[in-house]
Amino acid sequence: MKLKKQFADFYKEIRIDDEAHELKDKREILQSDIESKFPEILSQHDISINKTDIRMIDQGSYKYKTTIKDDVVDRDVAVMIPLDTSLNTDPRRIKGYLRDAINIPSRKVSIKEPCVRASYFEDGAERLHIDLPLYARDGSSVFLARGHEKGDKHGWEIADPDGLNDYLCERINGNDQLRRVICYIKKWRNEKYASSTNDHEVPPSIGLTLLACDCFSQQTSNEGDDDLLALQKTMKAIQDRFVCEYDKDGNLVHTISRSLPVVPYTDVFAKMKKSNSHMDVFYNLLTKAVESLTNAVNVESAHDAGIYVQNVLGSSFIIPPKDAVNASSQNRREHSFG
Amino acid sequence: MLSMPHLRIDVNTVLVEVMSTKDILESYDEIRDVRQINDDVFFISLFEKQFLLLLPSAEDPASEAEVWLFNDEFLDYPHVMLRECKLEKEQPFPEGTYRAVCLYEQESVVHSLFPYEEKITDCIDRLIEILSMNQLQRELEFHKEFMFYWNSQSAVIPKYHVYLQQDTAFAELDVYFGKNSIRLVDHCLVLSDLADREKGDKLWTHHLENEAYFIPVTDTREILPPHRGHKWTDKDLKNIVYGRQINHIDDYSFEKLKTLIPKSQNIILVFGMKMAQTMVTFAMKVKFRNGFGHTLIDKILNDIQDIEPLNTERKDYLWLCEQIGNDVGLNDKRILIAGAGSLGSYVSLELVKNGAKTIHIFDDDKLEEENILRWSCGGLGKGKNKALTLQLVLNLFHPEINTVAHCIKLDEKSLIESLSYSDMLVFTIGNSDEQLRFNRLLKEAKCSIPVFFVWLEEGGMFSHILYVNYQQKGCFECLYTNYDGVLVNNRASKNTEEKARNSIIRNGCGGTRAAYGTAILLRTTAALLDIIRDVENHVISQSTLFDVTPQGIEISNTNLHMERCCCCGSQR
Repeated sequence: MKLKKQFADFYKEIRIDDEAHELKDKREILQSDIESKFPEILSQHDISINKTDIRMIDQGSYKYKTTIKDDVVDRDVAVMIPLDTSLNTDPRRIKGYLRDAINIPSRKVSIKEPCVRASYFEDGAERLHIDLPLYARDGSSVFLARGHEKGDKHGWEIADPDGLNDYLCERINGNDQLRRVICYIKKWRNEKYASSTNDHEVPPSIGLTLLACDCFSQQTSNEGDDDLLALQKTMKAIQDRFVCEYDKDGNLVHTISRSLPVVPYTDVFAKMKKSNSHMDVFYNLLTKAVESLTNAVNVESAHDAGIYVQNVLGSSFIIPPKDAVNASSQNRREHSFG
Repeated sequence: MLSMPHLRIDVNTVLVEVMSTKDILESYDEIRDVRQINDDVFFISLFEKQFLLLLPSAEDPASEAEVWLFNDEFLDYPHVMLRECKLEKEQPFPEGTYRAVCLYEQESVVHSLFPYEEKITDCIDRLIEILSMNQLQRELEFHKEFMFYWNSQSAVIPKYHVYLQQDTAFAELDVYFGKNSIRLVDHCLVLSDLADREKGDKLWTHHLENEAYFIPVTDTREILPPHRGHKWTDKDLKNIVYGRQINHIDDYSFEKLKTLIPKSQNIILVFGMKMAQTMVTFAMKVKFRNGFGHTLIDKILNDIQDIEPLNTERKDYLWLCEQIGNDVGLNDKRILIAGAGSLGSYVSLELVKNGAKTIHIFDDDKLEEENILRWSCGGLGKGKNKALTLQLVLNLFHPEINTVAHCIKLDEKSLIESLSYSDMLVFTIGNSDEQLRFNRLLKEAKCSIPVFFVWLEEGGMFSHILYVNYQQKGCFECLYTNYDGVLVNNRASKNTEEKARNSIIRNGCGGTRAAYGTAILLRTTAALLDIIRDVENHVISQSTLFDVTPQGIEISNTNLHMERCCCCGSQR
């Protein structure tokens, strides 16, 4: 099997198994601040909740163990409180209270459209951030607080964070090759969109994770898991999910959709679709990746296959030496008896 | 000063070689400006760096090409040596500084097998590979020589010798100061030479005021050794113990750092990192500003004044065993050896060399001059108690070795007592009466540890190893029992009566000695080591008899378990 060791080494190199101690410390302190101060601030605005009413929900890649190394550490922890959304119709106000509860000099707190973000800086550069989506549990429904602090568009959006976690954990847990393939695809995304400055042009992690789960093709032989083939087939299947359609100007464009598997069933690629070019870039990059991976699968030499894979996954994927060189030096190797 | 090889071959040959070398070099797209200095030296430009290429000697098939980096203080690639050599004007090479580029692991390639031209292409290919490495590849290469870089950044003296009981969990270390070195010793480890004196002065002084801790690094990613242009600072230390994205240390170590409150202003931290094929251990002194009363993690994060790499060498027995590929399973085994004669001396010596640290040896006998040629310690201990001599010799191996000599014949009481402090028993005594007696005793005591009976036949050809699991059937007495339950001579013996008779040497005083040389001792000892390993690894679990001959080792075809054995069978 080609590149088995190289894929294993690559995964070891990019994976993040668990929260680092610094991140865990900061998350725990943040959680403690929320539990101790948020009820107090809410009570000043005639909203009564107890510390024990607050539920913190692990979300995102740390929950699914699909985190990979990145320049900025990004952690998602949802905050859920009981709230009557008919009385508190403006989620921006509640997000503001959450911000006030955690706003201390050691962290910079800002309100983003889907969450409140606590960022930590060192020497002027952001070191890590923790995103806190705020959910209101109102009767038997759960709503996500959406809207920028001063944005016009805002509202409580029906949501099911537990359902989403269950959906993904059910598919990923116990399927190590799928977990690895998700990490490879995220790494490919990070490599290809390294210079992007606009979040909307980058395929979101949740979108790639859902597509990978949908399109995953398990590949195992008696030599073990064949990650190269699994990645190639999974990315090819994702590529095949794109559809061609004409935009309003009559141009042929490629688009892909994937609804959330839980309420509100919105398309996770909706933001990317605000510009046709974002989708086209995504499609073209994916097509190139599939071509390279297909070449890697088809060439005989592991060295040549490694070059193709490195084009997709970046320089952390180590190319094995040329077979001829390898064989020649192997034949002339020795060791000291000491 | 550089040492340059000189070609001393006929002029025509040299011309042919030089021409072909130039052609080879010019065939590389990456190489610019090939300049010939003399017959066997070229100057080349590669990736905007200049290198001196010293050709291999055409006369010496084992020679290799060498490469030196010219006038570049800053290049910090792995395998580019840190020290510079300065060449003066009178040399035939350009004046300037040179740093060797290490292209081959020591004795890793059989240079004699390479044709001359291929040595040059191989050398250039390797150089290009080094210079083309991406960040990750450089990291991996730096890891291979981590200790070289670490110790190059630290003062040569004193050396810090690290003794660990284990290298996978946080540990507190004791600090002992010696004349030229300092020992950092796992709190749980006992070193036998700490009380040694020289001319009345203690060799080691325990400095209780020094605090030292061992922290295993569980994830080595992004940890580079200090190298040219990258001196370690508090940031490197913080990255290990408090990584933003990667947990380099485990939760247990981190909790320890969060709870320990250092009492002194300076502490020593020792880190152990398991790489692909090696374990590196490096120590540093961490100087804090003040801030007493804070936890160690708080002080590391907020109070570091300076860190100083310490010249580190690991010295413990576990490490030494791992360095030669010993199975470390014997490390924590306490072994009793009954009989310190020729076979016992070889067995005890090899058990220690194979990782056993705690050995009790029983023997009341003294070494006779006639026996020294088959005594593992040579002429040492003539006329002295054999067990005592072995104790002295074995304890000299390493301060962790704890050999205890019992200068008495093993008796019933001692044997039963030994079961409480032993993990394994090895009988290397030739006396069948004693072995039968001990066998019965162990059966009655429901012995639960592995027991090995090892004995030699006269003549130096045949020997036997019996592993007995007393929880099951089959014991030493079975070998002396026939199918009718009658006691007979050892059924495992291969020698004929006549051969046995002829292999006895009389000492002229009524005593006899079996004739055999050291070959049988060596192969029996080697076989025993393999069998012990298999028993420890549960490859062998039932009582088994092995025959050892010059042709090999095999499970004996002698039926071991006798149904009517008076010790373990139906006639008990």
